[in-house]
Amino acid sequence: MIRALPFFLAAGVAAALWVHAALTLVPLSDWPAWPFDPDTMTLPQILLAFGQMPRGVVALLVGAALGLSGAVLQAVLRNPAADPTTLGISSGAQLAVVVATIFAPGVLDGGRWPVALAGAGIAAGLVVALGARRAFAPVTMVIAGLLVGLTAASLSTAITLAQGEYLLTLVMWNSGSLVQQDWSTVRGLAAVLAVCAVGAALLARPLRVLSLGEGASALGLNVAGVRLAVIGLAVWLAASVTAAVGLVVFVGLAAPAIARAAGARRHGQVLLVAPLAGALLLSLCDGAVLWVAGAGGEMFPTGAVTGLIGGPLLLWLTMRMRVTVPPQRDGGGAVPRLSRPLPVLALLAGALALAVLALIWVGRVPGGWVVLDAQSFADFLPTRLPRLAAAGAAGAILALAGAILQRMTANPLASPEVLGVSGGASLGFALVVFLVAQPTAGGLLAGTMAGGAVVLAVVGALALRAGATPERLLLAGIALSSLASAVLSAMMSLGDARSWKVLEWLGGSSAAVTPTGAGALCILAVVALALALAMTRWLAVMPLGDGVAGALGLPLRRVRLALILLAGFGTGAATLLVGPLSFVGLMAPHIARRSGFARPAGHLAGSALIGALLMILSDFGARMATFPYELPLGLFASLIGAPYLVWLILRRHA
Amino acid sequence: MTRRRVLSLLAASFVAPRLALGAVPLRLAAVDWAMLETAIALGNTPVAACEVKGFRRDAVTPVLPPDIVDLGLRGAPNFELMQIVRPDLILSSPYYVRHLARMEPIAPVLTLPFFVPGEAPLPKAMAALTELGARIGADPAPALAAAEAEFAAARDRLAPVADRPVYLVNIGDSRHFRAFGADSLFGNVLERAGLTNAWADRTRFAFTASVPIEALAARPEARIVVIGAPPVQTEAELRRSVLWNHLPAVAERRLHRLPEISPFGGILAARRFATELVHALGAA
Repeated sequence: MIRALPFFLAAGVAAALWVHAALTLVPLSDWPAWPFDPDTMTLPQILLAFGQMPRGVVALLVGAALGLSGAVLQAVLRNPAADPTTLGISSGAQLAVVVATIFAPGVLDGGRWPVALAGAGIAAGLVVALGARRAFAPVTMVIAGLLVGLTAASLSTAITLAQGEYLLTLVMWNSGSLVQQDWSTVRGLAAVLAVCAVGAALLARPLRVLSLGEGASALGLNVAGVRLAVIGLAVWLAASVTAAVGLVVFVGLAAPAIARAAGARRHGQVLLVAPLAGALLLSLCDGAVLWVAGAGGEMFPTGAVTGLIGGPLLLWLTMRMRVTVPPQRDGGGAVPRLSRPLPVLALLAGALALAVLALIWVGRVPGGWVVLDAQSFADFLPTRLPRLAAAGAAGAILALAGAILQRMTANPLASPEVLGVSGGASLGFALVVFLVAQPTAGGLLAGTMAGGAVVLAVVGALALRAGATPERLLLAGIALSSLASAVLSAMMSLGDARSWKVLEWLGGSSAAVTPTGAGALCILAVVALALALAMTRWLAVMPLGDGVAGALGLPLRRVRLALILLAGFGTGAATLLVGPLSFVGLMAPHIARRSGFARPAGHLAGSALIGALLMILSDFGARMATFPYELPLGLFASLIGAPYLVWLILRRHA
Repeated sequence: MTRRRVLSLLAASFVAPRLALGAVPLRLAAVDWAMLETAIALGNTPVAACEVKGFRRDAVTPVLPPDIVDLGLRGAPNFELMQIVRPDLILSSPYYVRHLARMEPIAPVLTLPFFVPGEAPLPKAMAALTELGARIGADPAPALAAAEAEFAAARDRLAPVADRPVYLVNIGDSRHFRAFGADSLFGNVLERAGLTNAWADRTRFAFTASVPIEALAARPEARIVVIGAPPVQTEAELRRSVLWNHLPAVAERRLHRLPEISPFGGILAARRFATELVHALGAA
């Protein structure tokens, strides 16, 4: 039985909000007659007929399209947290359009749709391919999807940052404004939605069979074919929305959840009710945005507002989700084991020292490369050394945090980025920028640390709750990161010089690091390594699973809290320098593992050294690649890290 | 700029500026574009500046000398290159306070405010001429007089079109624009030229003011002045847009286009805006 009353109520409120906005524009007696002829209409009438009216319809269409997309994705992947945002599809479409806008604007002459579709398709293909290696395990899918999405989004941001010229277009469009000025978007979206609705109706029965799981192919269903068709449909819907109005996040996640909460149980019901719920949800949001704008407030793009609902919703879903991923014995016998790790560690340390020395000596000037003479060496040492040291220390800390998280959760995809601390730190930074007229470096530092600490407290509290498994923890972290980035994009769409500061920092440049700051980071890295080494016994036992660890007498809750605090504070400090994304925390522990550091102590030390080396090389690359224009350190590290992530998951089980 | 030239610059910098401060002009490095313009207006072109490529594209004039050293992004200046250039004074603005700790060891830093939310930037740009002039030993009077003369001339030339208010906008996409209000450089120059700004609101001036196109209909009698070229695909979208084409100013051909002008420039950007405004509106 589906409860209809809430839907009628929501429809009533949304309609009232729309009518209020429309009547403010033009009194009912002056409403233009159909068909609209702009040449005979007054300006307010044009605003109503070609602005307000299509806007109302677009809100319904976009909501319905995203609701349907989310519903079919959740059905086919049997995953209540799947939607175009969490699977990285929307970010893929966004990145494709951003890249086209900047590098080949001619491509966009034919409209954004083909470009967005290509980007969404690539992202979805990537995530599905990753998920297929793990039998579409829900948590792995969402983590892989969000990582792909985060990478795409960070690339979009970094590219935007490097091109002041197109900034306005990109930022505006990114945040999902529903403002319309003719009916062309309505026509395009309505056509796509109609075709996809028919497709979804045809696929509803095979989908129901697919929900039987393993039995589906025994019943004669072409499982792979149905999956491909359904995912293709969802991608097309999401890409069309992204092309038409930009990023409208989380409606695809919320709509099926609302449908289920309203009592839709069977697949067919959810497919039917979810688009309806999505349409009403987005209309309500848009109505509220118009209401606030009408009252003289700031104008928020509607797509940014939906993001504010999405984060908490994902958090709530996470807590209710059944997590059934068995602990993975990562690599098993396939990975080499070093019987004596010490010589290799010494070798790594030597390579690190050598790299630092070499990179201090070599540099670029306009017109070529130079190796410094003694005098210039003395001149540059005070600036190059802190920078390299800070980068190395940040890399080591991130790698340590990653190694701890991967061992603690027995999840090879865990990394500091998904803990949510980076997102919280960004939020703290942004708040200081927006609240203080001319913030000092110390103020920014305090804000960033405070932001990281708050998220840390939330994640820690979740970890202490009975029954909170490591997978849940990772999802909670991801939800918090998403919430942070939604708040950030809402702040950025307020649009003034302060937004620029946030964007600049998000890119994560290491240029401004002081000797004091570098020294502090180095000390922190050493302390973190010492603390982590003191915890090696726990880290050796935890990957065996909670049962074994508990049976061996490990106080699981306290141990987890201690490990989370260490990883979290470390990440917060490193984030200040590197920016929210780098993937070094993911990469370094993996490389260490593959190099044969199997035991915890060797693994931790090896990860730290490899992380430092990776970050130092990234820093060098970021400074030299586009000299004298310095790329953000985090971006350059991501450019190495993201392909590594893809390669890693693709070759698992291969 | 060759490596040889850098090295000779480097060598020269050891000797020259430290011998006679009075005779040889100070070597300046500009991080902020408004400061860069102020220095050029005072007759001392900096030896290095940030985002030279972007300045040539977005500010166009003043034309920078070919051998000026590009210091990289304003948000992340290349401090090593700045050190090689060995400036006597670094020109900055409050946007770049977070670089202070890195710049101060290289050379003294002069930070002057141009753009403060809610405050008029043109008087600050004028004051900056005086302040920077005092610091580097240059007389600001000719530059100030030239600017005043330019604004006065613009006022005379634009008197016939002063009957209608003017929207100063920069088109972002086919649905949004950013408006230059009373706390923008362009808005100040518009007032000096005797015209009324149709945008009564405060500027959300930096890089995204999410103002929907329909807001341009609030003053139907106004002219619209578009500063800078819109993005490529936006031109086509605007041609198709019902709303845009029925805005009174567009339908009645009161739409004027200006070339790229730096919205965050100093006194020279203000003068360039005055010149181009007269050029575009003078014939109207």
